[in-house]
Amino acid sequence: MDEKVPKSNIIETEIPMGTVHPAALEPYRVRLFVEDEIVQEAEITIGVNHRGIERIMEGLPVEKANALTEKICGICSNSHIWNSCRTAEMGLNIEIPERAEYIRVIMGELERLHSHFLYLAHGCEVLSHETFSMRVFYMREIVMELLAMIGGNRVQYGCSVLGGVRPRCDLDEAKLLRLKNDMDALEENLTGFVDRFMADSILLSRVTGIGVLPQKQAIKLAVTGPTLRATGVARDLRTTMFEYDNFDFNVITQPDGDVKSNLIMRALESFESIKIIRQAIANIPEGKVVNRDWEMFDTDIVQSYIEVPRGTLYHSYRLEGGRVRHSIIRTPSMANIGAMQYACIGDQITDAQLCIVQCDPCFTCTDRAIEIIRR
Amino acid sequence: MGIKSFSRARAIHVMLVYTGGCNGCDIEIVNSILSPRFDAEQYKVFLTWNPREADVLVVTGPVTHLNRKPLEAIYEAIPNPKLVVAAGSCALMGGVYKNCHGDIPSEEIEGPVENVIPVNAKIPGCAVRPQDVLAGVVSLLPTLLDAD
Repeated sequence: MDEKVPKSNIIETEIPMGTVHPAALEPYRVRLFVEDEIVQEAEITIGVNHRGIERIMEGLPVEKANALTEKICGICSNSHIWNSCRTAEMGLNIEIPERAEYIRVIMGELERLHSHFLYLAHGCEVLSHETFSMRVFYMREIVMELLAMIGGNRVQYGCSVLGGVRPRCDLDEAKLLRLKNDMDALEENLTGFVDRFMADSILLSRVTGIGVLPQKQAIKLAVTGPTLRATGVARDLRTTMFEYDNFDFNVITQPDGDVKSNLIMRALESFESIKIIRQAIANIPEGKVVNRDWEMFDTDIVQSYIEVPRGTLYHSYRLEGGRVRHSIIRTPSMANIGAMQYACIGDQITDAQLCIVQCDPCFTCTDRAIEIIRR
Repeated sequence: MGIKSFSRARAIHVMLVYTGGCNGCDIEIVNSILSPRFDAEQYKVFLTWNPREADVLVVTGPVTHLNRKPLEAIYEAIPNPKLVVAAGSCALMGGVYKNCHGDIPSEEIEGPVENVIPVNAKIPGCAVRPQDVLAGVVSLLPTLLDAD
């Protein structure tokens, strides 16, 4: 598909949505400029959630700062604390026990499952297909209970600590068995859902060709994560992360970049996550889960990139006397905002919310590094 | 029980307002009302995004600077009798964002919610558990039904 070019002339009709809107869980504002119900230009404004996390992090002891990064996002909280610990571990050359790495991968993949299920449920909700939405929400509960079993909480698990994982999150035989059984149940449920979804010609005709993001444009906008892979680019940071060296999984891509590709993308990626968790359960090595044998020293700025459910997450900071300095965090939704605005162009107003949701927005994560000008 | 409270008990509308937390409480509250596992809808508690329809306002998050005025406007728009539930440690005391001081304290947080609008019930937790949300909303029902 060739490029969709936003019109540059003045468009008179503007439809604002937000900041609190039923279809969007989070507060953000989108302005749709329309001609004959066709969106010609979209503009997303965020910043309502700004809490200044990087600023509060300045000067915190590194352990406390790690715990704070977890509160950036309630959906991918584990990814933030994982990457923040990883940054410090890279700077301080801390060796992580292999068992801890496996548990981190299990947590990461469980989180990817719950994030993708939330996406599917939310997507079906915006499509007004409540039955599918409820069905996915019910599947999601299996994952949430597994997360609560390992981390002790349904949302903020606090799994990673410097040098490994919290001893509470160690997996004994009973927990591994439950994890294994629930993965079987989950795969069965998910297979049933995907079969039903793919057989629903009404639903497929509703999502095919809506909110198209061409591949060329996706690369131009530096889109990351499943949204990029749904346009046919096989780019997944998990293939380069040392934690995933021992795991065998495929990078899923979809050809079209529309809502259908995005939905199928998430469903297929969930199967890969189940595959990774199964491998982790089968091969989890014995040993301790946390390495307390390390020393604190001052470091240069350390950078760490990991693949989180929504794309590439970047953390960087410098350690000075055990305290965090110059912290920078870049979340995947920051890059995907461009994709959301672009996907709306050329579609009906009624599909605009769907086009935004298809890029899996998480504006809570993103509202940090924004300067607020008070008037 | 008068006819007013009788009919009100069959249509409790909960409005969720999100004032800058981490999304965790939010999804758990939506989960506890919509999702089939907890399903508050079976007790005739519904989620709405229209303040004029709402009976109970559930507020999550520390109120950020930009969210203060919208929150006040939403509170004003809800017809009487109205009840406010503050859910999650951010809404109760500002959470980590207000109390976790590094070198530079946060200036964005106006919360806790009590500073902005009156609060009737508090649900602790980071993030709140769906069971606690249901218990919190249910504990308010007598107040709501006995009003006028």
